[in-house]
Amino acid sequence: MEKRNWRDFKLYAITAANYHPGRDLLEVMEQAILGGADIVQLRAKDAPKEALLRDARALRELTARYGVPLIVNDHIDVALAAGADGAHIGQDDLPLAEARRILGPDAIIGISTHNLAQALAAERGGADYIGVGPVYPTGTKPGRAAVTTAYVREAAANVSIPWVAIGGITLANAGEVLAAGATRICAVSAIVGSERPAEVCRAFRAKLDAARAGGEPGSIAITVNGRRERTSARTVGALVESLGLAGKSLVVELNGEIVAREAWATAAIADGASLELVHFVGGG
Amino acid sequence: MATMEGQAHDGIGDELIIGGKSLRSRFFLGTGRFPSPAVFRMALEASAAEVVTFAVRRVNLDYAEDDAILQHMDGSGYTYLPNTSGAGNADEAVRIAKLARAAGLSDWIKVEISAHPRTLLPDPIETLRATERLVREGFVVLPYTSDDPILCRRLEEAGAAAVMPGGAPIGTGLGLLNPYNLGLIAEEAGVPVIVDAGIGSAADIVQAMELGASGILVNTPVAKALDPVGMARAMRLAVEAGRLSYLSGRIPKRRYASASSETEGVSVLPGGNGEGRYAAAYGVSNAEAAHGRQAAGPAGSRAKAGDGSDWPESGTR
Repeated sequence: MEKRNWRDFKLYAITAANYHPGRDLLEVMEQAILGGADIVQLRAKDAPKEALLRDARALRELTARYGVPLIVNDHIDVALAAGADGAHIGQDDLPLAEARRILGPDAIIGISTHNLAQALAAERGGADYIGVGPVYPTGTKPGRAAVTTAYVREAAANVSIPWVAIGGITLANAGEVLAAGATRICAVSAIVGSERPAEVCRAFRAKLDAARAGGEPGSIAITVNGRRERTSARTVGALVESLGLAGKSLVVELNGEIVAREAWATAAIADGASLELVHFVGGG
Repeated sequence: MATMEGQAHDGIGDELIIGGKSLRSRFFLGTGRFPSPAVFRMALEASAAEVVTFAVRRVNLDYAEDDAILQHMDGSGYTYLPNTSGAGNADEAVRIAKLARAAGLSDWIKVEISAHPRTLLPDPIETLRATERLVREGFVVLPYTSDDPILCRRLEEAGAAAVMPGGAPIGTGLGLLNPYNLGLIAEEAGVPVIVDAGIGSAADIVQAMELGASGILVNTPVAKALDPVGMARAMRLAVEAGRLSYLSGRIPKRRYASASSETEGVSVLPGGNGEGRYAAAYGVSNAEAAHGRQAAGPAGSRAKAGDGSDWPESGTR
């Protein structure tokens, strides 16, 4: 069994048996792992402890076979009893310090966060990773306001420990989350609620890989005025328009060369391009 | 000077020509740090400036609306003089100059290469290098430079369209720290000399113009004045006053007084002898005593007007 660094995970799958009635938990989660889920969490808020422990032990055996970390949601005792790799706690669960004291220094402890202050507090408190969400409204967390991709952007700019975007993420909106700066994604119903979890996971992985390599199809990574941006624009003209600067008096430098305004419409920008957009401001 | 129509020094004979462009106003105005666009517009109008300076900066991608200065100017009639502020060497200055020219408004460039964060004094070596390169690139180059006569000559030889020595560090309002040097530069330069930076008030401008400067560039002393519009007008008038004073030939400085009133025919008090008490007291003739002393009191005399001794260095131009 290969021993990967768990921090390299990209696709975080969480169990939700209510989304796959009639199908076995282990079968669904194995499909997810085969499709590319590289960290698995057992979550079953209302299950009796005995059933939870049984599932945890079964998943421990499964995930160990694939070299995938197993995290248990909330129930630190179950995590310990099943020999899971760690636990995930919410803002209202056992405090991080207590969880750490019980689980020990080597356990992976993750925390759900819903704003940057919580994220930074978790980081300071010694969390190993954080969840950033819910990005979108989600049936698995009814009643919680979505934090939108705005918080994803903040996390991308400010959080230095591993963080994973979570909450209502599907194949349809994953591109937006990745464009906001996420490099890890967690999906629940989109994976386990699917008839073909492996295929869904492969599709998520393709989007994650594309984002890392320079964007989901149609999006490239560029630097504008020193800032990393993702854009679907392919010409200087389209970029200027997408930035809301059409009609403004400005000068564009593309990879160190000035692009005359007449050439904006045809000047191509490629992945990795660096642009400077300047204009006249007050000065003496 | 256009307003001085009909006088000896005005109109075509006193136009300021830079880079082939004829300017009526010798007052150049910077556009930075004004309290509001509205105040800037009014100050610009009050200044009657034709040449206006700008800086080149990145567009703020989050607030693209707020900071472009051009939207606050009503277009025509101005000569745009973008600066290279922010550049620390000739390479950066040349790059900024090219970006500025690409805006399509002007091929004039104020080379400004600051070498010290606290004084913002210009780097003479890099300024000269940038001037040489930009002249080759076809720019009309106006370098902001130290008040060094030799450097100014080198910049002129490099093809600068004008030289812009600083009176004092940018924004200090300290006035002309080295009038001697500025006077020398004005005397020797074959291109216009625009005193740029360090001006505090209208008095500094008059002084610079009387030293022979061709024009003045200010920003902070107008923008940060209590009343920027009032100061813009005051400084515009100071430029005109100083220029006209320079052209009109000031009197030589003298050691002693010289009567401005006729010294002949002073009426004396009946019974008086017509000799003032001072002449005797100081052992000088009445002519000398009266010279320049207007309404000198009962001591006025009939003595002939005589020449006072000139102050050793004459201020006459």
